[in-house]
Amino acid sequence: MHIMKYFFVLLIGIAITACSSLMLKPADFSWPIENVLKVDNKGFVEEQRYSFTLKVKSLFFEEFADSTNFAGKEIRLIRDKAGYIYITGKDFKNVYVFMSVENGMKLENKILVTERGLTSPAFNQKLPNIELLDSPNKYLLNNKGIVR
Amino acid sequence: MRKNQFFFLIVLFDAFILSQSSLAQSDYEKTLNFKTRFTQLENAIKNASSLDECKVIGENIVKLKDDFSSDKALLDKSLYPDNFESSFARIERALEIRKGDFAQIVELKTEVGSLKDRISELSLQNEGLITQIKQLQIKSTKDAATIASLQNLVAQLKANITQRDELVRGIVDSLLAQFVKTPGTLNEAEKQAVFKKVESGNLFYNVERTISDNVQFLKVTQMSPEDLSRMKQEFKDFNKVWRQVGAKLADVYLTRRDKAAQVENINAMFGEWNARINDEMWGQIIKLFREKQIAILPFKSGEQFVNSVNSFVDDEIKNYGIKSSKESINTFYLFTDSVYFKSVQPVWIPVLIENNMMTEANKDSVERRIAVWKEKVAPAGFNWTYLLFGVVIAALIAAYFMKGKKKRTVALEEKKEEE
Repeated sequence: MHIMKYFFVLLIGIAITACSSLMLKPADFSWPIENVLKVDNKGFVEEQRYSFTLKVKSLFFEEFADSTNFAGKEIRLIRDKAGYIYITGKDFKNVYVFMSVENGMKLENKILVTERGLTSPAFNQKLPNIELLDSPNKYLLNNKGIVR
Repeated sequence: MRKNQFFFLIVLFDAFILSQSSLAQSDYEKTLNFKTRFTQLENAIKNASSLDECKVIGENIVKLKDDFSSDKALLDKSLYPDNFESSFARIERALEIRKGDFAQIVELKTEVGSLKDRISELSLQNEGLITQIKQLQIKSTKDAATIASLQNLVAQLKANITQRDELVRGIVDSLLAQFVKTPGTLNEAEKQAVFKKVESGNLFYNVERTISDNVQFLKVTQMSPEDLSRMKQEFKDFNKVWRQVGAKLADVYLTRRDKAAQVENINAMFGEWNARINDEMWGQIIKLFREKQIAILPFKSGEQFVNSVNSFVDDEIKNYGIKSSKESINTFYLFTDSVYFKSVQPVWIPVLIENNMMTEANKDSVERRIAVWKEKVAPAGFNWTYLLFGVVIAALIAAYFMKGKKKRTVALEEKKEEE
């Protein structure tokens, strides 16, 4: 009976190993500088260097509970080494942490920075973290929250 | 004392905090700042109007490099697809090319300056020569010395005009080279460079002067077909270059009405020069007929030439039988042998065809008409000369054979006698 038990454990182990997907590691997805993108009338932002478009209308609804007042506003994005994308903007209270998924981005974390809203936010790449400047304040973030 | 120390520490701490917060700058802002200054320098290079400006730009490039050298690592990544060093290499190369342009402009300016002096000198000389030629032509009695002096002056004037034309062409050509180098619309700096070159070379005045001197030369001298052909070629070459430069200059001087009018005037002068050469050519051909008392209608084009000749020939054919036969034959041979086939066809027609003033079809049309006229007035009859010549040859051959036969008969008779 014992032998049978060990045999099953071994079989499950082999099956798990066989089914696990291929991983390419390590990777560095960090952007050297943030991107400042203007939201168009349809709620899209377009990034030239990394070549992607993103609909951010829902983000404005999430932040301001208003999905109409977004056209012409600027959002700031930066990607960390692990691939998380940090988004915020002027008057935002939070920094939103997203991860790329098929056909979109999934919210991973919403980091509350200040209740008064950011006045002049800017991201810097500070590997392995992300620095958020909001003169005169400085914050060090990662995908989990504020580090310092 | 302790209070003072405490106060000092607080000030130091505040200064540290302030410096930290003031130093906290967004990498994006830094990159944007760099890109803005870099673009400003690139535009400054494009719009630089002197070598001195280029030097200042060079200093600013060095300053920009120094200011951002501490952010080299950041800029290496954020200036994609360039990096810090390649960006500066690019802008420094652009500055060197621009400096090269100015060095060339300075060189050309000096060259144009010396050309200008030489052109003025030649223009003055030409003026004097034209006056002298006119005075000598007015003289009622022209002795050998006067004629020799006249010929000498004309040769000198011709050489001067050719030399001056070449100098002015040099300026126009250098302008054209600049236009070719910068196709499309010129920017403000390039326009300024053109203004300077036009002004320093006194271009408009010199082109006008060149054309008017050539026209004057046509007026005061008797030119040979070769001279006229050469002048026509000079006109064509110069006009071709001017048409290219003139259009560009009209664009450059769009806002300056006086200069635009001057460009228009030069275009008209080129037209006048061409018309003068053409008139002179046709005039000389008409003169050839008139000198032989052939009353041909005046003509100023290939078509008109064909019509005049055809009209004259038709009249002659019509009058054949009305006029005396001898008179008709005389007119025919005068027209064909003394004028058309002697001078017009071998000398003038190739020049006219080469310069598109007449076509091969025009020539064929005239010669077909002359052939019809010949058939009527002097038809090709039986040629007695050939017959006479044939008879003489036949007689000579017959005599030769007869002599040979006689010799053989004598020899046979002698042989028989010996036997």
